[in-house]
Amino acid sequence: MRTLVLAVVGIAVAAAVLLVRGPVLDAGQASSHREAPMIAEDPTADNTDLYAYRSPDAPNSLTVIANWIPAEDTAAGPNWYRFSERARYAVNIDRNGDAKADVIYRFRFKNRDGALFLGNTVQDYTVTRVASGRETIVAKGVTPPNNIGPRTTPNYRQLAQAGVFNLAGGGKVFAGQREDAFFADIGAIFDLVAIRKGTGNMGGGKDFFAGYAVHGIALQIPISQLDDRDHVVGVWASTERPQMKIRSYRTKSGVKRYSHEREWRQVSRLGNPLVNEVIIPTKLKDRWNSLSPATDAQFVQFYRQPLLAAVINQLYGLGIPETNRDDLVQVLLTGVPGLNNTGAKLADMLRVNLSIAPSANPNRLGVLGGDLAGFPNGRRLTDDVVDIAERAVAGKLLGHPAGDLLGDGVDGNDVPNLGMFPYEADPPSGFDNVKGQQKP
Amino acid sequence: MAAIAATALLLGGALRIDDRASAAPTTRQLVRFGLRELDAARTGDPARYVRAERALRRALAAEPNDVQALIGLASLANSRHQFRAGLALARRAQRVSPDTALTHAAVGDSLIELGRYDEAFATFDRLSELKPGFASYSRTSYALELLGQVGPAITAMSLAADAAGGQGEAAAFARVRLGKLQFSAGRLAAAAREYRAARRAAPGYVEALDGLAHVAAARGQFRTAIRLERRAVERSPLPQYVGVLGDFYRAAGKARLAREQYELVGAIDRLYAANGVATDLELALFNVDHGIRLRESLARARRARSERPSIEADGVLAWALMRNGRCGEALRYSKRALRLGTLDASKFFHRGMIERCLGRNAQARLWFSRALRLNPHFSLVWAPVARRAAA
Repeated sequence: MRTLVLAVVGIAVAAAVLLVRGPVLDAGQASSHREAPMIAEDPTADNTDLYAYRSPDAPNSLTVIANWIPAEDTAAGPNWYRFSERARYAVNIDRNGDAKADVIYRFRFKNRDGALFLGNTVQDYTVTRVASGRETIVAKGVTPPNNIGPRTTPNYRQLAQAGVFNLAGGGKVFAGQREDAFFADIGAIFDLVAIRKGTGNMGGGKDFFAGYAVHGIALQIPISQLDDRDHVVGVWASTERPQMKIRSYRTKSGVKRYSHEREWRQVSRLGNPLVNEVIIPTKLKDRWNSLSPATDAQFVQFYRQPLLAAVINQLYGLGIPETNRDDLVQVLLTGVPGLNNTGAKLADMLRVNLSIAPSANPNRLGVLGGDLAGFPNGRRLTDDVVDIAERAVAGKLLGHPAGDLLGDGVDGNDVPNLGMFPYEADPPSGFDNVKGQQKP
Repeated sequence: MAAIAATALLLGGALRIDDRASAAPTTRQLVRFGLRELDAARTGDPARYVRAERALRRALAAEPNDVQALIGLASLANSRHQFRAGLALARRAQRVSPDTALTHAAVGDSLIELGRYDEAFATFDRLSELKPGFASYSRTSYALELLGQVGPAITAMSLAADAAGGQGEAAAFARVRLGKLQFSAGRLAAAAREYRAARRAAPGYVEALDGLAHVAAARGQFRTAIRLERRAVERSPLPQYVGVLGDFYRAAGKARLAREQYELVGAIDRLYAANGVATDLELALFNVDHGIRLRESLARARRARSERPSIEADGVLAWALMRNGRCGEALRYSKRALRLGTLDASKFFHRGMIERCLGRNAQARLWFSRALRLNPHFSLVWAPVARRAAA
């Protein structure tokens, strides 16, 4: 019974995660009329994860790590990975609980010309800080190249560390390829029959994301620039692309003419982990991704009545509460009272209480494990959000017994984090590709 | 990868764990299979359209409001050039899920081919407002190209190439379109650069081979052109590639080989028709261009235009009418074909021939030189005629 429950919850989460993170379908070639491939994926605009926490080695700063481009296969040359030159990347911070960004760190990237192998994965970038209606360039940086292998990109650790730059006015920034710090057992929980023995809350799963990379932006921002009386900030990452619109108009003589205009539009956002994947219905995902967290009240029904809880009960009769899930609304939309609440405004933001000191012994289950410095009070690289999400949906916060059993058996990342800025590990080199036949 | 994609879509409607336990495929698996067959059919195996349709219909029978299946079937209908059926399916998808950007792409694609341009452009604008990205940029580019705005069309398509990210086929598609935009303005070197970029993005991408072959032919390098086009035909025996190969042989003075290819076009076409692909317009254009069965081809062109009243069909019908000596009626359709302001050297040339047929020689010369100024390489067969007539 427990195995089945684990599998169901696991599949739902795995499926949802892959919906956004999964590799891309091949597109068709055109026949005699125009047939643009019907792809919907936009990997370079796709937010995969967001972390925000006070790091023990930099307790006076808020560390924010935002990742894009799911499932980079570093051995998939000659198609390497870069941030988009034509998109605009942002880390947004709300200081007063109105779910509108008070401080934005905006990133634009530029490719370099040059030889295919080393040169062209290095990108120059500009960081613009937008606050109180003013835009200030606070850093100009350079990304390290993709980690191709020891001959093309030797001493990768040094190459990566050369990609750390200071922010004007205090703080640090890094942008470039990183090992995906996200961890989950997608493979086993997908396969109902061969679910790995002894997983669940007992460990022993396989990290599907091992060996894959992402493109990450890391920021370290002095808390003095963000803190105020209630100490809680809300963080989300987002990506914008220019909308190119055809506009028709009539001239004075009544002739119809066409023009075009450009305007930035948000195409992706991420605050709390797995919201896009698990909470928001497929049909609304495009719209949800285009909106500001300030408008999230319209989605509250999907938090209060999560599809996932209903599905588990329908199939396996566990009696998990399906409705009135105000516990989930608190965790994801308002913050938990006494911990990181930002008032009544419903908004999907990753909320961090800046007055809570980093934990000396972090618990992977964060607040559920009694560690107030972890998710959902911000999110650390080591917080096991898949297990936390499974348990939370299963009613852990309501004291439901299923809330202690669940988990995907992967309790930590396959490689250690750096222990220093930019924290996420160096990407696995393409040459040392360890995935073999596991490639999806 | 297939399994993952299928799983990835599991959560879309309801989880169907029970289906997985049995041998019956899930809706997701059927949709996935159908879309893959559709892709394969498009690259030159028309029999797979039938398999694609069967799978997608089964999926829709299981879940009558499945957006992915509806979009897939709409796309399939469009591939078969059944654009009215495509529009009906796409509209259904749009009603089921108006916030899914791709439903607007599917609706707009059908509207374009039906010649309903204002509605199509408005639909593409809804798409780009909801979700700017590869799907919107590539369609906005096409709309701007139809409107004769080649520069902005190039801008939009280069945004599509960027948004393709690391997705080889999508990047190759955008690069090929950029190549064609450059070629249509007579810029051979720029076109070749884009086609080469397409090949780098997706090695063996057939349209890039075809594009490079056209550049080579435009430069008079027929051996290279023939070599490249033969590779395109081997990979993807679409009638238009076979016809082009025939043209290259003819230009290289190999009349017998050319004739063989031309005969093959008719045979392949019958194969498409047998698999439910309406090819009247394409075959009419080929036949009219090559002086084959002109009267029958005019009937085909009329039939095609009534099915698919786009400026493309207007243009083919105008050309077919002219070649059958019915130049008054041809002029009417030529004007329709050029009503959006599209910069298309072939359509300019056809207009010149119509004007000349109507005895308006000064007008005719203007259109011939417009065609040649825009793209002196617009047609291996007809550009020399235009040059003589413009002189």
